[in-house]
Amino acid sequence: MEIVTQNETNVTHIPQKKSLSPLAIARKKFIKNKLAMTSLIFLALVAIISCLAPYITTADITKINIGEMGLEPSSKHWLGTDKAGRDVFTRLLYGGRISLLVGISCTIFVIFIGTLIGSIAGYFGGTADSLLMRFTDLILNFPFLVFVIVLNAILFGKVSGLWVLIGVISLLYWGGIARIVRSKILAEKENEYIIAAISIGCSPAKIIVKHLLPNVLSTIIVQATITFATMIVVESALSYLGFGVPQEVPSWGNMLNSANEPDVLQYKLWIWVPPALIITLTILSINFIGEGLKDAFNPKSRR
Amino acid sequence: MSTKKSLLKEAPLLEVKNLETAFDIDGIDYNAVDNVSFKVKPRQIVGVVGESGCGKSVMSLSIMQLLPKGSGKVKSGEILFEGLNLEKLTESQINKIRGKDISMIFQEPMTSLNPVFTIGYQLQEVLFNHTKISKQEARQKAIALLKSVGISRPEKIVDEYPHQLSGGMRQRVMIAIAIACQPKLLIADEPTTALDVTVQAQILELLKDIQAVNDMSVILITHDLGVVAEMCDEVIVMYAGKIVERTDVDTLFYNPKHPYTTLLLGAIPKMEEEAERLSSIKGIVPSLTNMPKSGCRFANRCPMAMPECLTITPELAEADQGHEVACLLFETSKPREGVQ
Repeated sequence: MEIVTQNETNVTHIPQKKSLSPLAIARKKFIKNKLAMTSLIFLALVAIISCLAPYITTADITKINIGEMGLEPSSKHWLGTDKAGRDVFTRLLYGGRISLLVGISCTIFVIFIGTLIGSIAGYFGGTADSLLMRFTDLILNFPFLVFVIVLNAILFGKVSGLWVLIGVISLLYWGGIARIVRSKILAEKENEYIIAAISIGCSPAKIIVKHLLPNVLSTIIVQATITFATMIVVESALSYLGFGVPQEVPSWGNMLNSANEPDVLQYKLWIWVPPALIITLTILSINFIGEGLKDAFNPKSRR
Repeated sequence: MSTKKSLLKEAPLLEVKNLETAFDIDGIDYNAVDNVSFKVKPRQIVGVVGESGCGKSVMSLSIMQLLPKGSGKVKSGEILFEGLNLEKLTESQINKIRGKDISMIFQEPMTSLNPVFTIGYQLQEVLFNHTKISKQEARQKAIALLKSVGISRPEKIVDEYPHQLSGGMRQRVMIAIAIACQPKLLIADEPTTALDVTVQAQILELLKDIQAVNDMSVILITHDLGVVAEMCDEVIVMYAGKIVERTDVDTLFYNPKHPYTTLLLGAIPKMEEEAERLSSIKGIVPSLTNMPKSGCRFANRCPMAMPECLTITPELAEADQGHEVACLLFETSKPREGVQ
């Protein structure tokens, strides 16, 4: 009953490495990408230093120090002090924690909601698709800034300010991801292996989680990095305008806020240049990582 | 086959009764499968032949309840599998049957396997779906299955990804997945169309061996009459969604009754003749939206068409012992008086 083709039997036994999964191949390609790896290392450094902030500096981040207002950088205050006499370097480190926390948690929520809604709409189609997509359109049509300000005002004081912001941003930002995931799933589910999977008795939930999502994972990961960068910008922008993280909590956006005074903008560069620089560098590196991931997941690129 | 006589008295494994599958195009239902009835007995290989667009694949998808959601649906008729109407089952009930009692092999081995999982994972998946089995046992079973479909080095292949295998090997893997739970019925939808001729012969041989070992019934969908002659016990000839002739394989080749079957057989190139051009049937299968409303659907391509062929719809009826045909050339196919 066994039929063995000739060329299969005559293969000399070459010691072979274990076959690589598509994910492992992508990882190998990513590691070879110098720019993306440098960015990753930079981002990791920023994250680690921010997390270790309490061990690196001991200065109080919220206490207003009237005696040391607007001091230039010196050996005591490496990056000087701001208008309230708080150490800029310390606030930069603590600010990184907040900015990255907002960025990461918003990204996780946005990707989760977007993927859930997008994959259900894409897989089931029909009425479920229409309902979910019209809901998505509704969310996308909300004027983002106005909504954030209003919701922030309503919820302020009831919940910790930071999590209000994260919740509001997440609830308003998943629409784009849902659309992308839906269109990807729509294309992917036409593949014959999906019919084959149904024909061996897989339930819809299993088809979505085990067969469809791994095949659109590359898109989701790339989208996640882009979302991450966007979220940091959104947080900074809102905080700069004064609608983001509560004023007493240091974040990169909050630190920029003081730059709207002409005096600071013109003569006290040390107060606003460091946070501006670190925001730019962080977003740049996240985007480089995203580009690197896109290349790594693209089977046609040979870089 | 020697089993043919003993098959006659057994209850059918699958019985399709007056199946009508329709596609919704711009709000109007068009029947891709129209009033099709047939039976598959245990251990029987039934061939379904016809040109492209005859409704063969749609029929098999209807049996598996795999029609594309939203556009295609079974309008009427019954699909009885061991007496159970598959049409009436819920999604989770049919999932218990798919892959276990009925399984399917698809036309395109290159795209039928999920690119992100190993061969072993995809084989084990069907086992986990339908049996209580430990991971270790499943892996052993997967290796054994790969071996049984003629893959050498199964211990190696089990950890490889689909892109590392050739088309023929992938189709073997697909067969291994399909037979993993020893189904009673295997639907093979043009299993060899995408493969080259030598591999085709191996795959058919393999299917036949597995059928004999596992005591399965097989519905073999093909447009290759050579494959039919090689494999099948019984043959159904379909044209434009309807069965035009149904008989055993020998009768079909030596005594075809329907003009369409005769023309199909005439289109097989013969080695001893030196023909400049291959003979073909003029015209094409009418598309779903252009199907003639009344009369025989083959009438406008039929060399033997009579005036009444355009108005009277022939019925599938037994013209000889065990030989059904739907053509007005035979008295039996003419509608009885008083019945429209």
